[in-house]
Amino acid sequence: MDATELPLKAPERLAAVQASETDIVERALIDASTRIPVLMFYTSAIVWLLLGTLLAWLVSFKAHSPDLLGNVSFLTWGRLRPAHMNIMIYGWASMAAMGTGIWLMARLCRTVLRHPLLIITGAAFWNLGVLVGVGAILVGENTGFQWLEFPPYAGLILFVAYAIIMSWAVLMFRFRRGEQIYITQWYLIGAFLWFPWMYAAAQLMLFVVPVQGVMQSAVAWWYANNLMFLWFGAIALGTAYYMIPKVIGRPVYSYHLATIGFWTYALFSSWTGLQRVVDGPFPAWMITASIAAAILTIIPIVTVGLNHHMTMAGNFQLMRYSPTLRFTVFGAMAYTVFGALGILLSLRSIARFVNFTQVHVAYSHLGLYAFVSMILFGSMYYIVPRLVGREWRYATLIKLHFWAAAYGVGLMTLMLLAGGFAEGSNMEDPTMSFNESTLSILPYLRGRSVAGVLMAAAHFIFAFHFGLMLFGLGRTASVPTFLNPVEAEGSETHL
Amino acid sequence: MNGQPNNPQQPRVRQGMDYGENEEVQDVHAAIAREKREPRVGLEPLSIWIIIVYGLALFLGGAYLGRYSGPFTGEALDPPVHPMKKVAAGGAAGPAQELTPAERGKKVFSQNCATCHQMSGTGVAGQYPPLAGSEFVTAGSRRPAMIVLKGLQGPLKVKGVQFGTAVMQPWDKTLTDQKIADVLTFIRSEWGNKASPVSAEQIAGLRKELASHAESWNEADILAVPADAELPGGAPAGQPNEASKGAPQQAQPPKPQG
Amino acid sequence: MRGLAPLFLGLFAIFAFSWLGLTAIPNAQIGHLDPEVNPQDENDMYPLPPSGMAERGRHVYTSNGCMYCHSEWIRADYISADIERKWGERRSAPRDYIFARPVVLGQMRIGPDLSNVGKRAPSEETSAAQPGASPAGSPAAPPAPAKSTSSPAPAGNPPNKSASPPSPNQSPAPPQNAPASSPSPEGLPYSAAWHHQHLYAPRSVNRDSIMPGFKFLYEKRRISGEPSADALKLSGRDTPPEGYEIVPTYDAKCLVAFLMSLDQSHPLTEVKAGAAPAAPAAASPAPSPAAAAPAPEAKK
Repeated sequence: MDATELPLKAPERLAAVQASETDIVERALIDASTRIPVLMFYTSAIVWLLLGTLLAWLVSFKAHSPDLLGNVSFLTWGRLRPAHMNIMIYGWASMAAMGTGIWLMARLCRTVLRHPLLIITGAAFWNLGVLVGVGAILVGENTGFQWLEFPPYAGLILFVAYAIIMSWAVLMFRFRRGEQIYITQWYLIGAFLWFPWMYAAAQLMLFVVPVQGVMQSAVAWWYANNLMFLWFGAIALGTAYYMIPKVIGRPVYSYHLATIGFWTYALFSSWTGLQRVVDGPFPAWMITASIAAAILTIIPIVTVGLNHHMTMAGNFQLMRYSPTLRFTVFGAMAYTVFGALGILLSLRSIARFVNFTQVHVAYSHLGLYAFVSMILFGSMYYIVPRLVGREWRYATLIKLHFWAAAYGVGLMTLMLLAGGFAEGSNMEDPTMSFNESTLSILPYLRGRSVAGVLMAAAHFIFAFHFGLMLFGLGRTASVPTFLNPVEAEGSETHL
Repeated sequence: MNGQPNNPQQPRVRQGMDYGENEEVQDVHAAIAREKREPRVGLEPLSIWIIIVYGLALFLGGAYLGRYSGPFTGEALDPPVHPMKKVAAGGAAGPAQELTPAERGKKVFSQNCATCHQMSGTGVAGQYPPLAGSEFVTAGSRRPAMIVLKGLQGPLKVKGVQFGTAVMQPWDKTLTDQKIADVLTFIRSEWGNKASPVSAEQIAGLRKELASHAESWNEADILAVPADAELPGGAPAGQPNEASKGAPQQAQPPKPQG
Repeated sequence: MRGLAPLFLGLFAIFAFSWLGLTAIPNAQIGHLDPEVNPQDENDMYPLPPSGMAERGRHVYTSNGCMYCHSEWIRADYISADIERKWGERRSAPRDYIFARPVVLGQMRIGPDLSNVGKRAPSEETSAAQPGASPAGSPAAPPAPAKSTSSPAPAGNPPNKSASPPSPNQSPAPPQNAPASSPSPEGLPYSAAWHHQHLYAPRSVNRDSIMPGFKFLYEKRRISGEPSADALKLSGRDTPPEGYEIVPTYDAKCLVAFLMSLDQSHPLTEVKAGAAPAAPAAASPAPSPAAAAPAPEAKK
């Protein structure tokens, strides 16, 4: 990477960062080529998001009112919960991530996407795989492993779909133009390669040549954790590394921090995962290794956080205007919180209390929603106008989406953390009957349902707004949709 | 915007619906046109503070790894034991001596009795009789002690409500005298019940008395015992109880209340 | 960074490192365990492969998502209250799970831990007395047949006492084909009948429970002639209408068989036992004939 020629602190004229005409034309061509595949990914992702949200509602309400819609086999809580988790993971988050990843890869590699039909086919197969898998869960074909509940035949469909999609993305990278590989591309290539490796390893070791006994659990937790960090987290961080400097027009603060952040992130995050089974029937060294790796993730957390913060420094006020920046910075900050919480929760003395409680649910949602999904929302707000040639129509809807989602996930996290701690300390106190630990969490579960209403509202608003864009009902304008009126003339807030 | 020649200088940006704007070709690509150049990285050097943070993190992580790994075998299960942890182990419940009898009894209750009689003491309608306000619990200590020791079967009327065929198992083989005494003390003082506590010695005496009685009670057996019969040795001037099912009387010298 | 090759190598190395460390190497250590044979008694092996019904029951367990609320592992007594809560007598070890496929350790305790729920069943073999009745692999067959006279004719009613007080012959016939059976009283906790009732209508057994009911695992059918042996004894709101009975489906019976097979009390040399065997109170609520008997006996 060559150093930028601009002074880093307070460049005088942002006009110098505007693109040249050839760049514009090139980008227009690239965007036109990615249009249908990426829109297909986004549309599918949003449909799955809505379905998953409905399931989340059912799961949340049935947790404190178990007789609701009771006694129908495919609506029992134990099937709705994995259905919800898998729809959100493989339906919503993965497809949104792949859509964003393909667009980013095309832009950064400065290559046009050739043969989009293959990617479209891949996306259709992926949809099929998720549909088959979720249907299987609802009729009772659950493999028993968290985030791997899809039966092997659905997993195979997903794998084939992925192979079609991602080999194209990797080829784009192989034939990239330009000397340098930007940070985002490291993260994206990492994610695109790691996912099939980890998925194949998990499927092989659990279903094809199954390992014995508790090793199944170890493999499952290793996979789930790697999925969170090396697939979702990597794509999310890569996206943030693109969106933040792009929107504000300044370079990323430090190349060294970015390098260190990337490699330590991958190295340490991939080793965590077994702290979920602290004190479990495993050799001590495995669990301790996971916990030590979790402690060491302080390095990437601090590094990435600092890098983003220093890049943004002096420009936080732009979050008032840009939807993309708002969502992305929220997500990046959530990563810091998520990471710190993860370290705390893995220390043995704390893990003892929170194992087996709702705290794990809070932690997962902090990661998958507050961190990954919010960054993906931000990327969609940036990318979709460039694909459909319209701007987002109603700034109010964007603001509603943001606040409902932010408050929703914040409330949910707080409720479940507090409730989980109460539940955990009751469980550890043998003078309290087990029932009391369950009873103590009920009010918090109801609070979570309230949060769920907020989040559902956010999703439906977003889906409606996206639908408008899809049918060409956005604004035709040369001005982006700002979230608040831009005050003065002469303020350089081109976005 | 930058150098698009045939575009008249647009007014500076204002918020609002822009349907009045023209739809010339370049506006369809307006989003792309106004983008900044692709992001790139700066080269700020690493601050010394960051390096210190890294060093600390590495040290902590490594120290944790070293301390808690245990031997690198498949047999050293998690967690590796450390002496200082053992001291803390008793912390939650506290050594038994520090709990009052009712608190110990609550523990026994929650582990053995709550499944049926519920922690609220209300039992389950039609199946498990309630203990809260139950005449069998709050009157003399002999009846409840008999029931806990030897069990109860068959129909039973409690607080005017008929219970059918629930079966209560005997606990004489599975609970010690102290535990039975504690749980009786608990149920006799909880949920609004106000009755005297029961001591381990009283239970021991009753156990000896009933040693030859192998069967579970039924309702008639219990009702044959006067409601206010107390176990000998208790504080409220335990009256010698009337003949129960032929078990010999045991006159015991009054003991200090347990 | 330039070039795809070093990037690719780095990415692969990181992946391989964690894969090796967390899956491959531990698999070499604990992935090929055999059951432990008691040196004093060759026939005493633990664990034993589960019965067919229990295996199918495990499948029913995962297909209905029971592991999302129930865990199945016990932690050591010096760092948790699991053993004090009588959920088990010792902590779990890898060897406990070698025949579990899939292993459902579970990660939440919205409901109590189930590792030893089969052990906590009251001794039923008194009324069972037919093959496969204790619906699990041998571990579930409670030991010490000594005490309880197996009276295969509990056709009596409650006051039917055999010589041994500790095992009231109550429990109705075990889930499958039972011999004679009389309308028997509600099940003792953790007996097969109790499990069926609990699965059908959890709040009829435990008012505070938030477990969903699994009525779809049960059939409502018309009573033809005699009420069938495994009909559930229900009361209150859950009672079926006149002339109908609720019977478990095969899946329900398998599920209960699986639950009754969950028993980790057999000692293992790699696990130092908790406080269990010494104290008389160590036994679970069930009057399992104080068979906290000498270790070699404990065939669990």
